[in-house]
Amino acid sequence: MTQIYEGMFLLENQVVREGWKEAKSYVTGMLEKHGGSVKTARRWGERRLAYPIGSNRRATFLLTYYELPPEAITAMRRDFDLSENVMRYISLCVDEVPEGEQALSDAELDSSYVAPEPLADDAPDPSDEAEQEDSPRGDRRGRPSDGDRKEGSTETKAEGATDGAEKPAETAEAATTEAPATEAPATEAPATEAPATEAPATETPATEATTPETTTPETTTPEKGEA
Amino acid sequence: MARRVRGVIASKNCDDPIIDYKSVEYLEKFLTPQGQILSRRRTGFCTQCQRQLKKAIKRARHVSLLPFVG
Repeated sequence: MTQIYEGMFLLENQVVREGWKEAKSYVTGMLEKHGGSVKTARRWGERRLAYPIGSNRRATFLLTYYELPPEAITAMRRDFDLSENVMRYISLCVDEVPEGEQALSDAELDSSYVAPEPLADDAPDPSDEAEQEDSPRGDRRGRPSDGDRKEGSTETKAEGATDGAEKPAETAEAATTEAPATEAPATEAPATEAPATEAPATETPATEATTPETTTPETTTPEKGEA
Repeated sequence: MARRVRGVIASKNCDDPIIDYKSVEYLEKFLTPQGQILSRRRTGFCTQCQRQLKKAIKRARHVSLLPFVG
């Protein structure tokens, strides 16, 4: 008699970079070694861990549904405990494979499927970056300078003091067109103009006028936290 | 004087809770900023759902989807 299990395996990104199919077959092969039959296996995602496990800060998650005799669970657990490729795993009893899981798993079996390359260990999560951009507090701080940068003349762009990405391009252009002696005043000049860019304080009320609507939920949430 | 319950997240909304350790964003709603599980008084869940919630959060913590602290 067998039981259906749901298994979530955290694979080291180093192993996944060498090949997703090999990493997946490592887990499925291990399950089949203990007399199991893998029903579905798919990449659930690659994400930053809530806390570092060993030296790893990110991992790739493999979600599987498999059938296994309950007697083999102990041996399977021991193998995964000793494995270096699998950082963590969880296996739960389920009644059946959820709907849609089979289709997702089959899509991965397609020859055209290419698993995305895992990010570097210290790379921020893309979803976190999106949240930071959406946050009204961040907007309030960034908006005046952004607006100035868009509206400002080429001189404000030539500053490059605020934005590091633009700096190399500007200096490269300056190097080709102008002598280094002329560059120095060009970099100094914006320093005097910098207050001028910040000066349009008339714009900031406009931004503040729009933000209160967005900030009101913020003020409500701490109340919940205090309650 | 009646005791006021403030900040209830799911007010007796146990009809279709998708309490699963994989639904991280949903579970995060029931954690304090320090990562502690909110009490039943705060979540508004019934006994059974609160137990499911506790189990799901602890499973998510095990696979590093949710933090133990912070």
